[in-house]
Amino acid sequence: MSLLSPIALWFGLAIPVVVVFYLLKRKRVVRLVSSTLLWQKFLAETQASAPFQRLRHNWLLILQIILLILAVLALARPFFSGKVEATRLLVVVLDASASMQATDEKPSRFEKARAEALQMVDSLHGEEQMMVLLAGARTEVRQSPTSDKSALRRALQVCQVTDSSTRLNDALKTAAAFTFEKKTKPDTGGKQVETEETSGEIHLFSDGAAPSLDEFEHKALPLVYHRLGQRCANLGVVSLEVRANPENPAQRALFTSVRNAGSNEVPADIELRFENQLLEVKPISVPPTNTLPLVFFAAQPKDGVFTVRLTTPDDLPADNQASLVSLLPKTVKILLVSRGNRFLEKSLRGAGNVQLDVAALLADPATAYDIVVLDDVTPLVWPTVNTLAIHVHQTNWFDSVSRVEGPPIVDWRTGHPLLRFVTFDAVSVSETLGVKSPSWGQALVESPQTPLIVAGEISQHRLIWIGFDTLQSTWPLRVSFPIFIANAVEWLNPASATSAQLAVHVGDPFRQRVTQPGPAAQVTRPDGTVQTIALEPNAQEVVYGNTSQQGLYRLKAGTNDVTFCVNLMDPAETDITPRAELPMGKAGGVSATTLKRANLEMWRWIAALALLVLLFEWWFYHKRTV
Amino acid sequence: MPAPLLTPELLRRLEQFQLLAARRSKSAGKGERRSKARGQSVEFADYRNYVAGDDLRYLDWNLYGRLDRLFLKLYEEERELPVRIFLDASESMTFGTPVKFDFARQVAAALGYVALCGFDRVNVHVFPDVTADASGQLPSAELAARGALRAVRGRKSALAFFQNLSSLSAGGACALNEALRRGALEAKQTGLAVVLSDCLDPAGYEPGLNALVGRGFQISLLQILAPEELAPSTYGDLRLVDSESGAMQEVTFGRFRLNAYQKTVQNFIQRLREFCASRGIHFFMASSDASLEQLLLKQLRAAEIWG
Repeated sequence: MSLLSPIALWFGLAIPVVVVFYLLKRKRVVRLVSSTLLWQKFLAETQASAPFQRLRHNWLLILQIILLILAVLALARPFFSGKVEATRLLVVVLDASASMQATDEKPSRFEKARAEALQMVDSLHGEEQMMVLLAGARTEVRQSPTSDKSALRRALQVCQVTDSSTRLNDALKTAAAFTFEKKTKPDTGGKQVETEETSGEIHLFSDGAAPSLDEFEHKALPLVYHRLGQRCANLGVVSLEVRANPENPAQRALFTSVRNAGSNEVPADIELRFENQLLEVKPISVPPTNTLPLVFFAAQPKDGVFTVRLTTPDDLPADNQASLVSLLPKTVKILLVSRGNRFLEKSLRGAGNVQLDVAALLADPATAYDIVVLDDVTPLVWPTVNTLAIHVHQTNWFDSVSRVEGPPIVDWRTGHPLLRFVTFDAVSVSETLGVKSPSWGQALVESPQTPLIVAGEISQHRLIWIGFDTLQSTWPLRVSFPIFIANAVEWLNPASATSAQLAVHVGDPFRQRVTQPGPAAQVTRPDGTVQTIALEPNAQEVVYGNTSQQGLYRLKAGTNDVTFCVNLMDPAETDITPRAELPMGKAGGVSATTLKRANLEMWRWIAALALLVLLFEWWFYHKRTV
Repeated sequence: MPAPLLTPELLRRLEQFQLLAARRSKSAGKGERRSKARGQSVEFADYRNYVAGDDLRYLDWNLYGRLDRLFLKLYEEERELPVRIFLDASESMTFGTPVKFDFARQVAAALGYVALCGFDRVNVHVFPDVTADASGQLPSAELAARGALRAVRGRKSALAFFQNLSSLSAGGACALNEALRRGALEAKQTGLAVVLSDCLDPAGYEPGLNALVGRGFQISLLQILAPEELAPSTYGDLRLVDSESGAMQEVTFGRFRLNAYQKTVQNFIQRLREFCASRGIHFFMASSDASLEQLLLKQLRAAEIWG
């Protein structure tokens, strides 16, 4: 025999309460009377002179009968039958993002979510089905719809939390696909109309640290949000970047920032390691809800991995560390093909660590150079290296080209690394090539008619396209021009591109070009396990997708041996504040619930009511004798 | 000076009454009641044969003339009616509003007055006996009053009778049976016996009343209960202390049990009434707040205690 709700045994505590009631002595009023003779006769007559007596109207009796009825009703375990479809589906979505590792719930938010989900499995009805989705970097269906409780428990037991950011959109989309059913019904005019009806519920176990779920704003998602987490006491590394130290070329500058999502100022220690050797420890103190930028300077003797780590323990250890593969800077070889542009030439030279050759014509693919700059010159042979193309176009870059005169600059993407510290205020352009935004890149600077600057990647080479002749604009006179050129050199530099490739976000695939990889590649994960990937015979690229864990990975494929870093560095995950509401667009939202939207058995409430009646009865009995 | 037991108006009306005796008086004292005794009065009773030594003044000479035989004329002797009033002065009589004992004294005064006006002898038995106080002294005034009340005769002693009644005090445990039995034994002549008590004696009332009945008294019993005893107004969890015995009784009482209590009291009274009816005892029940005039002028008259 097992108990469906052993927690109800706590009601047993009511028994001592009743005993206490009876233990309580009545306080009697002493009164002198002439004689107790009549009273004795009265008591003798009213007490059990016969086994039965006429049933008298007595409120105490009625109350006790109500009490008994309630208790019996509770034991019968009644519940709402309601309108339950024969096969109701409960979709359990477990948020497996990094913030679910927070230990403010014991042992962790994820474990608590798992326990709650397992409780839901226990309370599953015979006709109900459940499925389990794990929302990590990718959404995985861990259990397809079934009523088999043991299968559901097994599926929940093997779920693992990841280090990735929250991506609930995919999970909810998948869940919605299962819960919405298309049905055709005749409308008021008698026409057959296809409508979507919900046939289940989505139970999301999450802390709500998710980006806005705008796309569900107008969809009445049958979502029940089970909130986890209690507080936010967490520091996290949210960015890390290595650059050349502008003041000392022998050193590298590491720019990092630490976010404190909590509401208290937190002191901590942050350490910097190179190839696992401790270089520096800094005590820091991060103000509440602030990000503290930090700079480390360190000599780098060889290519290697820089790691910053917060050593002070907090609720979420996953975001306390970030690593970066740093390659030693190399001189960038640039070929400038131009009919003469002193502004451009000077800016290129000023970019630092640059070897610049200038040519008037380009007749070969220029493979000896790292970067080719085409300045208003159409080359005879298009280069096969990273290219900055100014006022030129190739037929496979754009579909059609027109001319636009005096385009106003209305928007530019300040978030892109190319436009860092670059503004286009007071820049005017007399004429530009009019194109449509291509699929290979994104428009960085736009006018209403045409994109002016496009950056992207074509056949594995980076390309920056500027549609107008810089000499036909006021841009070279502005301070943003040399900054943009410096950014462009940095961005087009194959070494920095490689560095960028070697640092991926948790959950993103890692891609590496390889030569003669052999039949298989081995990936050593941060926890030491080795995973083998089978490769095509002529594969040129290895793609590794299982980056759910942050840390250092090592890829071996034939002679190729690459170390790459997987980092979380997500301020949204560092902010582990449990959200009371899941945002859904401007108007929508789902509040956290502690109630289960299911066939709720009522017996607990009835039992509680019975207890109240018992108390009332006791009070009433004592009141009426006064 | 305490308030007079009876108002002058009531006294005046009581003067019109005379106690009605069902039987001829057996008393020895002269009075105004017809008796079986032969003596000197104007009422002819019988003849008897002359024997030597009889008073020649009572010979019926007319009869001698006709029959030539000597007959003596006998006349009825008029005697007094002994009236015994058993007055309960136990502690329980001191309760009630008005106090039951006061009511009992008023009734006793009225009865006594009617008897005194009819030249009957009044004998008031106050029970229980006086007990010594804390210092071991017997209250002499109380003893004197009780002694004076043992035999009162003549209308002129009414004032002293009232005063003595007024000076009585109540206290002690009720011993109704003992008092009645003793009264029955002590009485040389039977007559009217009136018992004024609440009859709340744990030992009961039957032996005492039986003793009086056996002695041949014409008995009237007036049970006096306080309004509080008939319908208690104190509710709640109570510990009741008996004023006489000090015994405690715990009881939980509320309005919802008032009817049951009243029924108990009525049962108690009914049993007493039935007992009295079976023994030819006149039974009256009065609440101490009842109208004295109603009782004296209507109820007692209707029951032919006096007329």
